[in-house]
Amino acid sequence: MNLLESLLTGLDEARRHWGQTVLSLLGLILGTGSIVTVLALFGGQTALTEQFLNEVGGRGTIIVSDRERSAHPGARELASKRLTFKDAQYLRDRGAGALAAVSPGWAQQLPYRVGNTSFDGQVIGTVPDYMAINDITPLVGRYLSDLDVRQQARVAVLGWKYADSLFGVATRALGQLVSIGGKHYTVVGVMEREEFYFAAWEDNALEYRNERAYIPISTAIAQHSAVDHLDFLTLKARPGTGAGVAQAQVRSLLYARHGVEDFDIRASGQGAGGEAGQFLLLFNFIFLVVGVVSLITGGIVIANILLASVVERVREFGTRMALGATGGAIFAHVLAEVLVVTVMGGLLGLGLGTALTGVVAHFMQMPAVVSPFIAAVSSVTALAVGLLAGLFPALRAARLSPVEALRYA
Amino acid sequence: MPAPTGLIQARQLAKTYRLGQVDVAALRGVDVDVGAGEFIAITGPSGSGKSTLMHILGCLDTPTSGTYRLDGEDVSGLSGKRLAQVRNRKVGFVFQTFNLMPRLTVEENVALPLKYRGGVPRGERRARALRLLERLGLTPRVGHRPDELSGGERQRVAIARALVGEPAILMADEPTGNLDSVSGAEVLQTFAELHGAGHTIVLVTHDPTVAARAERIIQMSDGRIV
Repeated sequence: MNLLESLLTGLDEARRHWGQTVLSLLGLILGTGSIVTVLALFGGQTALTEQFLNEVGGRGTIIVSDRERSAHPGARELASKRLTFKDAQYLRDRGAGALAAVSPGWAQQLPYRVGNTSFDGQVIGTVPDYMAINDITPLVGRYLSDLDVRQQARVAVLGWKYADSLFGVATRALGQLVSIGGKHYTVVGVMEREEFYFAAWEDNALEYRNERAYIPISTAIAQHSAVDHLDFLTLKARPGTGAGVAQAQVRSLLYARHGVEDFDIRASGQGAGGEAGQFLLLFNFIFLVVGVVSLITGGIVIANILLASVVERVREFGTRMALGATGGAIFAHVLAEVLVVTVMGGLLGLGLGTALTGVVAHFMQMPAVVSPFIAAVSSVTALAVGLLAGLFPALRAARLSPVEALRYA
Repeated sequence: MPAPTGLIQARQLAKTYRLGQVDVAALRGVDVDVGAGEFIAITGPSGSGKSTLMHILGCLDTPTSGTYRLDGEDVSGLSGKRLAQVRNRKVGFVFQTFNLMPRLTVEENVALPLKYRGGVPRGERRARALRLLERLGLTPRVGHRPDELSGGERQRVAIARALVGEPAILMADEPTGNLDSVSGAEVLQTFAELHGAGHTIVLVTHDPTVAARAERIIQMSDGRIV
């Protein structure tokens, strides 16, 4: 009996005990369906996270930060000034071969005031490179210039939200004066409103960028700090320069200046996505567990039903053997039944999963697509579970001795 | 009286089963010779070893010792797979309980041995099954399922199935045991006709009146021929 014939026989058997077939199918359909849905939603989220990372310009940047002081700092560590604006200027001069952009940063909460409107908000002291690294653009006016930094100019670029709440209409802020930390700044630019939603019900993941003002870092240090100290330092390696090479160069340059390694260097991109990403990851994980559990349950159900049907048909197998069926033919016979059930279950599950994905994506306003890859992965998983479940009953049937099988009551 | 054209030549067949700690001898050195075209009955009380002898002669089981040549081929030491092939080509079985596949039609049941033979095209399987069913007067029943037939009809379907592969020998194990006397007589008549047409038949029964229909009777008792 060839393979095609075995499969046809299997299809026939599956059709002839419909009740059993439907029961076996249920677990497989549900399992495959939920796996498809999870993978599709997960795929959508991953694409979204990638998009978010590109949006914030976090890809391919190097972040330098102060290392926590050791418990018993040595003389050199105590003498070090930690990360300073001068460090940043030094990196820009000496590391130009490997670094495309050097963006030192200073951040503080300061009171804002225009007329009677006032609130406390974030102020970022930075340099023109910051705009390139973070991929942000002004809506009106301009961003900070090198000249502003050199001259410690009292100019500010407002985030969209602050410009809007301080001046009523964001664009109206241009050229106006704003008091930040008790000093007056001229608004030379208003940034574009930044938005990014991981899902319809989520808050704007980029809202923090609309709620701040940028001022020259030199001005920030001179006006609002007693000492030259940076809160962050972001670098971008030149295209073609490996991140590892750039990191090594930054490390040796900073070590030369500090005399001690009191800083940490890491590539950005990790941990981005924030809480929204975390929540969705958990959500997806739960769904995936549900899917895997239902598939396993489906597999156990199939194995049980098949085992019962094998026991029920021991005499039939004995008769088939007497008529000339080899153990291999009996094995193929049982496995073909499983195969038919599994393929049907897998396909129906794929259909259910696709439908479910559409429903979830629609009601939760989340991007999700059942890609050919997802379809392939879930079908192969269903097939593997089914065959694994069928293996034992099939072996059992194949190993029957004809005489004992015929005698079986 | 060993027949000259010995289809079955069994020498000193012994079969020992292990039941827990003790060995139980079901056959204790049996010689059997069956010639082509013979109609013989193996008879004896239950436990006499007649079923064990039929299983070995039908290649469903192998002897613990002794040799068995079926149609010129020594089959006493064959593997399970080779035995299955020998059964398929050389032996046709008829069982007491008919053992038809309940979900297959009469025609599909009859064609089943040819499916296991391999290499027989679907059309030919069908044609051969239909030819036999016609010969046994079952043409109106070809599309039915076994549970739609009477006991006698079922057994005649089983006989058709046993014959479809043109085996060297037809083995019947209590073929009338589950039939009323009328149907039983019909089935025995069928065997007689098959014998008349030249088929070799080995019939196992504990019923002396059934055994009497055969040409020759092998009487078993306690694992030996008496």
